[in-house]
Amino acid sequence: MTMIEKLNTSKVPILVFDKRLEEFRGKNLFPEKLEQAKEILAKFGLPKQNKKPC
Amino acid sequence: MIFEFISEGSRGLVKKMVTYTFTGSENIYNLGFGDYNEITKSIDDKSVTNNGDSQKVLATVASTIYAFTQKYPTAWIFATGSTSVRTRLYRMGITTNIEEIKVDFDVYGLSTETSEWEEFVIGEDYLAFLITKKDNIFAL
Repeated sequence: MTMIEKLNTSKVPILVFDKRLEEFRGKNLFPEKLEQAKEILAKFGLPKQNKKPC
Repeated sequence: MIFEFISEGSRGLVKKMVTYTFTGSENIYNLGFGDYNEITKSIDDKSVTNNGDSQKVLATVASTIYAFTQKYPTAWIFATGSTSVRTRLYRMGITTNIEEIKVDFDVYGLSTETSEWEEFVIGEDYLAFLITKKDNIFAL
């Protein structure tokens, strides 16, 4: 199966581990977005849903 | 978790990054997405690349959700656009693929009208989205 065929038949992307990305480990690359997310979650809470906690 | 991919279009090759960052709320991760600038080594999530492949880019970002939740099946993913236009773009992307998405995920939207979370409804306007795997037994 070719790479394109694999891509087209899989929902999960074909991942290649890249050690260069280690330099970003622990870094917050989107500080504004993270703050925005925290604010929204604090202000509006979470969805009411029927799932049972484990 | 960090993903990197290349947008290939009319303006050439543009490096994109997708990150999932813990929000501080149990099991909830923020999805961050933007263009990576090799020179400044920073990410711009407000840039408009206009590379002519926005649907492919959005699909690739969506595919990272599959990869992330495969690794962290109890995770909830929080997503919102860096601008209201981009949030609408996300909404359109979800709307277009909602039937396929619903096979694997539960999707909630924060209604701009009621300011409450609700199950994603086509045509409704949302401030933000929360997504989790359908078989996630970890309730919020």
